[in-house]
Amino acid sequence: MLLNDTIGSAASALRAHKMRSALTMLGVIIGVGSVVLMVSVGKSFQRYILDQIASFSSNLVEVYPTGFEKFGGSTDSLTEDDFRAVEKLTTVQTVAPVIFITEKTTYGSEELSPWVFGTTKNFFANYGLKLQAGRLLDDRDNSAASSVAVISSQTAEDLFGNRDPLGQRIQVGKKFYTVVGVLQSIGSPVLQDMDTPVYVPYSTARAVTGQKYLSYMTLRAVGDYELTVADITSLLRQRHSIHNPENDKDKDDFVARSAEQATEIVGQVTLGLTAFMGLIAGISLLVGGIGIMNIMLVSVTERTKEIGLRKAVGARRSDILRQFLFEAVFLTSLGGVIGILLGTALGLFLSAVAAKLLGSFTFVLSVKALFAAMMMAMGTGLVFGLYPAKKAASLSPMEAIRWD
Amino acid sequence: MLKKVVPLIETVDLQKSYFSGDLETPVLHGIDFVIQEGEFVSIMGPSGSGKSTLMHILGFLDTPTSGSYLFRGEKTRVLEDDALARIRATRVSFVFQAFNLLPRTTVLENVILPLLYHPTIPASEREERAMKAIAEVGLTERTTYLTNQLSGGQQQRVAIARALVTEPDIIFADEPTGNLDSASGLQVMNVLQELHDHQGSTIVLVTHEKATAEYAARIIQLLDGRISSDSRDFKRKDAKTNTDLK
Ligand SMILES: Nc1ncnc2c1ncn2[C@@H]1O[C@H](COP(=O)(O)OP(=O)(O)O)[C@@H](O)[C@H]1O
Ligand SMILES: [Mg+2]
Repeated sequence: MLLNDTIGSAASALRAHKMRSALTMLGVIIGVGSVVLMVSVGKSFQRYILDQIASFSSNLVEVYPTGFEKFGGSTDSLTEDDFRAVEKLTTVQTVAPVIFITEKTTYGSEELSPWVFGTTKNFFANYGLKLQAGRLLDDRDNSAASSVAVISSQTAEDLFGNRDPLGQRIQVGKKFYTVVGVLQSIGSPVLQDMDTPVYVPYSTARAVTGQKYLSYMTLRAVGDYELTVADITSLLRQRHSIHNPENDKDKDDFVARSAEQATEIVGQVTLGLTAFMGLIAGISLLVGGIGIMNIMLVSVTERTKEIGLRKAVGARRSDILRQFLFEAVFLTSLGGVIGILLGTALGLFLSAVAAKLLGSFTFVLSVKALFAAMMMAMGTGLVFGLYPAKKAASLSPMEAIRWD
Repeated sequence: MLKKVVPLIETVDLQKSYFSGDLETPVLHGIDFVIQEGEFVSIMGPSGSGKSTLMHILGFLDTPTSGSYLFRGEKTRVLEDDALARIRATRVSFVFQAFNLLPRTTVLENVILPLLYHPTIPASEREERAMKAIAEVGLTERTTYLTNQLSGGQQQRVAIARALVTEPDIIFADEPTGNLDSASGLQVMNVLQELHDHQGSTIVLVTHEKATAEYAARIIQLLDGRISSDSRDFKRKDAKTNTDLK
């Protein structure tokens, strides 16, 4: 029997049993559709987060004490002298020191708990924060340790509502500050926290907290951030008398890291999430495969007469086996294609919804996932179609013809 | 003129038992006969006498328990699965009581079916051969109909066309009129008689009715798995001129 004939016989048998064919495909459609949807949504979301981070983080390097991210690490390791030494490095552009004030911010009866940064004007440049009204912190604020504050858009709204915050006096802890500037919103729903901080002069924060050490410092690298990170690391090791030629991070009392490295971590986390969603979707494909086997086994029983007739007119075992296998693989492949179309369509729809909610959201179609899902669908047909096909092929024409 | 003719079919002490577990049910108790090429034979007997069992063995759908079956002088017992399939594809054809057409499929597709499994007829000839077979049973206008849109008599004629299409050595028809009214049955018998008379086809007709058996030229009568008579000594009925069934 020619391959063409196998295909033809399979196609005509499937056409003659449209309902059963559709039911068989359903499991695969759902399975493949969800694989494609899950992986695409995961990828799109990952891309979205990475884009958001990349929009302000290129060249950005942060240096902080190990205690900042590791329990038991030192929080008192970065000194002002460290800051000044870093500032002098040729691979460093603009550095800003930061000391946090961990106290509540109030205005009248409104009370909030935003991060309060004691920092310098460089900070705003480093993070690309833009002014909406008033002015930023300047060098005079720092040299005079003046009681002024620049506030973020969300905090401005929460404290003042529709009123103009400029010139108003807010309170952080016990001290009063005059609002001299309001920042623009970052405009990113995943980075909403960046729209809440309050900024006061570094020198003022140091005086208020009595802290000798920096909470952290942030800077822009000149050119390649890896070189800058290496420069800072060797400088600070030298200054802190840390002998660490083997470059063991655990020996250091500080961490210098670019925001792009942080981006990689985010990437890994969302990749893991994507893989997990893909796995769940894969399981649904497996369940779909078992459904196929079930329906095909019923179909073999139902078609005993047809199989017997084919054998009576000269079909060999292998002809029947091939036809049934082909039917299974054809159904799962078609189901796969439909599933891909549906999954993609649904993904596009969800992206459109996400774009409405988030401002911008790009749909990322994972070609790898499409390919894998298609292979899985065809494999499902082959694996779960084999047993019913063997059963059909081994039917005797006698049984088949007597069956009534 | 005294050329020795090898018979198409020859059985020697053919026996068949069905087994279920340890229980043996003997059905055929030693069948001996010869069928020559070009014969039109009825195998007649009451229900349960073993007619279908015998036909299935002769048609390579089943194998005897003992005895031998020679087809064109060759022993057939030792054939492999694929060799049997090849014989079914090229040498023998069946017409069943229940028609056994593919459901929701066209007349043409049904008639082409055996050609899909035929080892030597090229694909390019299929349609032409099928159309010729369909014409021989008088269904040319119904070629594209689905089989479930046809009457019982028409369906059985499709089945006959399907049996003809491979130009087999022999056609086995098992109670072909059993599911038909008498007028349709008569049409079917007419088709079989014409095949025999005009094309020289070899036909074995299995039936439990004497009236149907008499359309053949020879009647082998089966009783409890044995041949009780084998006769050409009767007046053959002619389906074309027969009026008592119309
Ligand atoms: N597959 C089988 N298993 C057991 N017994 C069978 C089987 N097929 C037929 N028989 C028995 O063999 C006998 C002859 O059956 P069959 O050849 O169909 O007779 P007929 O066609 O003359 O009516 C019956 O008694 C029937 O019950
Ligand atoms: Mg019978």
